[in-house]
Amino acid sequence: MGTMTVRYPVRDQVAIVGVGTTPYSRDSGKSEMGLVVDAARAAIKDAGLTAKDVDGIAGTWVRAELAQAALGIPAVNYYLNTRLPPFSQQVVAGINAVFSGLCDTMLVYHCAYRMGGTSRSAGGDPFRVSRRGMPRPLSPFPDTITGAACYASWANRYIEEYGASREDLGRIAINNRTNAGHNEHAAARKPLTMDEYLGARMVRDPLTVFDMDYTIDGADAFIITTAERARDLPQKPVIVHAAVLGQTDHGVEEDLPDLTDTGLKVAADALWARSELTLDDVDVFMPYDGFSVITLKWFEAIGYCGVGEAPGFVMDNWNEDADRIEIRGRVSVNPHGGSLSEGASQSAGHMREAVNQLRGQASGLQVEGARTALVAPGGFFYNAGAMLFRT
Amino acid sequence: MSEITDQQVADRLPDMWLDRDNVEFYRGLLQRRLLINRCADCGRWQQPPFPICPSCWSDDVRPTEVSGEGTIHSFTILRAGPPLPGVDYASGHPVVVVELAEQQGVRVTATTADVAHEELRVGMPVTLTWVDRGGEPVPAFRPAASA
Repeated sequence: MGTMTVRYPVRDQVAIVGVGTTPYSRDSGKSEMGLVVDAARAAIKDAGLTAKDVDGIAGTWVRAELAQAALGIPAVNYYLNTRLPPFSQQVVAGINAVFSGLCDTMLVYHCAYRMGGTSRSAGGDPFRVSRRGMPRPLSPFPDTITGAACYASWANRYIEEYGASREDLGRIAINNRTNAGHNEHAAARKPLTMDEYLGARMVRDPLTVFDMDYTIDGADAFIITTAERARDLPQKPVIVHAAVLGQTDHGVEEDLPDLTDTGLKVAADALWARSELTLDDVDVFMPYDGFSVITLKWFEAIGYCGVGEAPGFVMDNWNEDADRIEIRGRVSVNPHGGSLSEGASQSAGHMREAVNQLRGQASGLQVEGARTALVAPGGFFYNAGAMLFRT
Repeated sequence: MSEITDQQVADRLPDMWLDRDNVEFYRGLLQRRLLINRCADCGRWQQPPFPICPSCWSDDVRPTEVSGEGTIHSFTILRAGPPLPGVDYASGHPVVVVELAEQQGVRVTATTADVAHEELRVGMPVTLTWVDRGGEPVPAFRPAASA
């Protein structure tokens, strides 16, 4: 890793200069657009800029042309709408659009919203209608693992192949909940014990309610510009050292050959091939945790341990007193609480936390003197992203 | 076997994203036939159905009935979900990903029959059968030993 084996001229040339978020809540009382404009305005102001300074826009569910209109951004020279997952697509596209000169100042946003299809209680709410159907061939509902059930199914496979246990999944949930307890922005902060975890309501065996991300209303937004311009703006720049994507040729959850040939691994390999930094340089690690098993896989893919070794790795790096993971006694893992506890942001919260940690402005546990943050979005097994930020 | 039109497939599977690449798969389900695309040129099986063979790019891919033999690759038990006739989340609804005997890595996902949840295991040999749900046939896998 960190051997720079491929062409990567964008390294260290682009920076995150603004960040904005909304409260994460079970019911915001706002539309998705309402959340996006709140986060976007905050991010633009945070960067010391105005709407007319923004000349590129990329977002997720809320369409970019409508968000642009709502924010009164007069004209942009780059726009992108892609559906989730993962959020890193929009970020990487924005970084490259700035670097290439298509635009100078990108607004990138994501909004999470409780939908009938993802939240049982939201199913009865006419304002949260389910999005029916998927543009992918699949077995008729409910005899399918497309979507959330794939994590349960692959978790069983993981347990079977590597002799893992439910406690191994539980430690991920406990780590994130412990960390969220320190973070006022987090939606779920009540401490979690292993007994509570093991006794929790099973949702999709072997995953419980604590293995699933905590659905929220909330949005995050980021301002991306050149590293050069960042020096003239008010906030401490967070430099994009490397930001990559990875995807395998098995675009359906059922069809991954095994637990080694994943999009996570493709992204991790691409990251280290483009990075001057190594895993040892990382001060804070934000692996995606939409489901607990994804985080186990990220420890392996990113290089902390071998395939199937994440349970042992987590135990070896567990701080009993603090009730959380501290890699080599030092590196925090999702210190904001991640999607399991801060709120289901599809990695947008992880990226915001990276920016805040490197600025020294974390809303919860601040890693003292953090200089390098690694964000690892994506968890559908066949695709993912990986991003290294530094000060 | 009477012909089932594309419109009838759409009407009988209203939640499915139906297209020209997968309609034969769904039509097969309604006829109690599990059809998986097979390349007429190189012989490779491919699920989900694509309009070409990803291996050799042949356009001649044909929905082909499989033996129904396979092994459980992974599985889960759903404890909650939108209500459906014949689906009992309270006692758990099993979903198995089955690797078909036809080719390594070719998998289909279905529910189970004639097996207790706690007996499900990765690697268990299974056989295709069909169960009725709300008047429609639905594929299911049962332990091969009980066949």
